Amino acid sequence: MLVLSRQRDESIMIGDQIEITVVDIRSDKVRLGISAPRAVQVHRKEVFDSIRFENEEASRVQIEDLQEADDHLRRLFPRLERGSARQSI
Amino acid sequence: MIVETSLFGQIEVDDRLAIRFPAGILGFPKLTEYVLIQPEEESYFYWLHATEDPSLAFIVTDPSYFVPTYRVPLRSEQMQDLALASLEEAQVFVIVNKRDDVLTGNLQGPLVINVATRTGTQLVLSDRRYTTRVPLIELRRPVEALTA
Repeated sequence: MLVLSRQRDESIMIGDQIEITVVDIRSDKVRLGISAPRAVQVHRKEVFDSIRFENEEASRVQIEDLQEADDHLRRLFPRLERGSARQSI
Repeated sequence: MIVETSLFGQIEVDDRLAIRFPAGILGFPKLTEYVLIQPEEESYFYWLHATEDPSLAFIVTDPSYFVPTYRVPLRSEQMQDLALASLEEAQVFVIVNKRDDVLTGNLQGPLVINVATRTGTQLVLSDRRYTTRVPLIELRRPVEALTA
């Protein structure tokens, strides 16, 4: 990992299209401004990681699970429509 | 086109039904082409199967069956990137996971597909109202969709 020190209002370039600026520094928090082309997704790492992790787990779900859930739902909610799988008590 | 799948063997799918994810799906960036397989008519769930990897498939569902209030906020650049003139042209799916006896939907990372161009993307929502594990249905119990 490349580690650079920056003060408030200073920037870093990643490639020639991505710029990261230190907007504010407080004792426990840094506010970063990111300027990047639209095609580049920018997200807090933990959110990105949690979606990726969830995708990876989900790719391993087995077919029997699907069958069971589907049978379950269709028996009780035969009509597919918005909210049709909600329970009303 | 012929798609090799470890679940269903070889299946034949009309080329025009392929869905492209130019940026792939998070965690699987190299696989950009999928097909949607509905096990039976009126199924609540589909398989989103990679055409280039026989072992990669996701169970997906339309989140509106379970969470009718769910709306994916799309910024205008995102709509442009998907060539969507309006939200009505988009189909939203969420990837389904199973934990113990509960099926959950990733409402924080929905799949948004332009139905006409058959191009899609997985969005990352910064709205913390929805998580990656929103309970959809509990198996074994006589029924509950868990989201009120």
